[in-house]
Amino acid sequence: MATFLNRALPFAFLGVVLVAWEAAARSGRWSKLLFPSLENIFRELGLFFTKTEMLSEVLVSLERALGGFALAAAAGILLGLLMGRSKLVAALLDPLFSGTYAVPKLALFPIFIFVFGIGSLSKVALVFLECLYPIVVMSYAGARGVPEKLLWSAQNMGASRAAILRRVVIPATAPFIFAGFRVAVPVAMIVVVITEMVASADGLGYQVIYAMSSLRTDRMLAVVVVIAALGYALDKMVVLLRDRLIYWEKLDTYYV
Amino acid sequence: MGLAQAGALVVVLLAWQLAALGGHPDYLLPPLEIGKHFIAALGGAELYQNIAASLGRSIPGFVLGSFFGALLGLAAGTARWLDRMLSPAVFLTYPVPKIVMLPIFMVWFGIGDLSKVLIIALACFYPVFINAYYGVRQTRTILVWSALNMGASRGAIFRRVVLPSAAPMIFASLRVSLALSFIVMFAAEMINARSGLGHMIRVAENSLRFDLMYVSLLAIALLGYAGDRMVRLAHSRVLAWQPS
Repeated sequence: MATFLNRALPFAFLGVVLVAWEAAARSGRWSKLLFPSLENIFRELGLFFTKTEMLSEVLVSLERALGGFALAAAAGILLGLLMGRSKLVAALLDPLFSGTYAVPKLALFPIFIFVFGIGSLSKVALVFLECLYPIVVMSYAGARGVPEKLLWSAQNMGASRAAILRRVVIPATAPFIFAGFRVAVPVAMIVVVITEMVASADGLGYQVIYAMSSLRTDRMLAVVVVIAALGYALDKMVVLLRDRLIYWEKLDTYYV
Repeated sequence: MGLAQAGALVVVLLAWQLAALGGHPDYLLPPLEIGKHFIAALGGAELYQNIAASLGRSIPGFVLGSFFGALLGLAAGTARWLDRMLSPAVFLTYPVPKIVMLPIFMVWFGIGDLSKVLIIALACFYPVFINAYYGVRQTRTILVWSALNMGASRGAIFRRVVLPSAAPMIFASLRVSLALSFIVMFAAEMINARSGLGHMIRVAENSLRFDLMYVSLLAIALLGYAGDRMVRLAHSRVLAWQPS
């Protein structure tokens, strides 16, 4: 009985929320604009997956998020490693990154629209910029903190600089890089959805605004469920990849 | 601001100004011109009104979200039944962009400030909850044992052992949630508002007033920077025993 309770408890909260929602929807006290019933939301969700144009909206958003993220990952790891292993580069770039870290880069979006156009490019550029910060900061911290003893041992055994980078510095930095990824992936989703809500004619963020403007709360919530599932799946993929690549360290923590 | 940061800033601004010498598109103003427009805007009332409107949304949202995040995070880290009930739901919804809830919040709580404050609070809740939770969980068991051994009550252990060991992580998450509060505030105002810096930049964009766009951008950048400095200052004040 006790083990059953332990198993069931995590679902209890979710169950209570869903039951309360359905009760509110069926009570008839509120319009279905406020609380559409779960049945309607699931029907819209079903419709969503049967329409190819909706699936292409998912692809549009995914492309923007992953495109910006991939660029940020490539540039961020490179910059972080350079800053971590070279005092000169760190002295040049660290003040820039730490000085502008707290500034909301999202405010640049209206200007990005003029520079890169209102299409995908301005959104990818903003995703790149927002994702760059956590990745640079984390990989810099990792590359800076490579244990000296490991470096000395490698040097002592006659490893070349390239070999040290490949065999010592990168493996030691990898957990930090993935910690940066873990922060950056939700950021990429946030930025894509926001920019699509603000200025776009396609993508999931636009579908949220469009459904709401047509007063279809059920459809909007179906899109929200899709966005949520996507955000969750991307995060899970980062974790899976990390556990596969960095098998030598046990990492299950999740802090920001 | 450190000397290195000031130096880097000067170099970037100088390069930007020099690059703009050979002519620039309307939408890319050189720094001196932005400064000129910003000082001009400081003389009028509009900028202050928008800043007040923006802060009137972001600060209550930040305080509300961070308070409940810390409270429930500490509770879930301490009490196992609450952990089992609450944590899965929080970790499951953590990677979801909270801003997508804005339209439904607008339906529930109106298109006024309440829906924006609540969406900011929702976004700020997550990082603080997660860090408070892990802050409690990583309290060193040996310290708890020692306190128990010396006859400390459960309340005293929480106050004197668990809380101090979780505090650095809670402060770290406050920096994140403050930055998030500005992002979500700005986004919500760009999507739907009649005042605030996000609204100001939208209006400027629609009327091609590039000067006002940069004024709003500079204002939000300065606010974000100042807020971050304040959280860091509070951190070093409250946790004076710990190097940050």
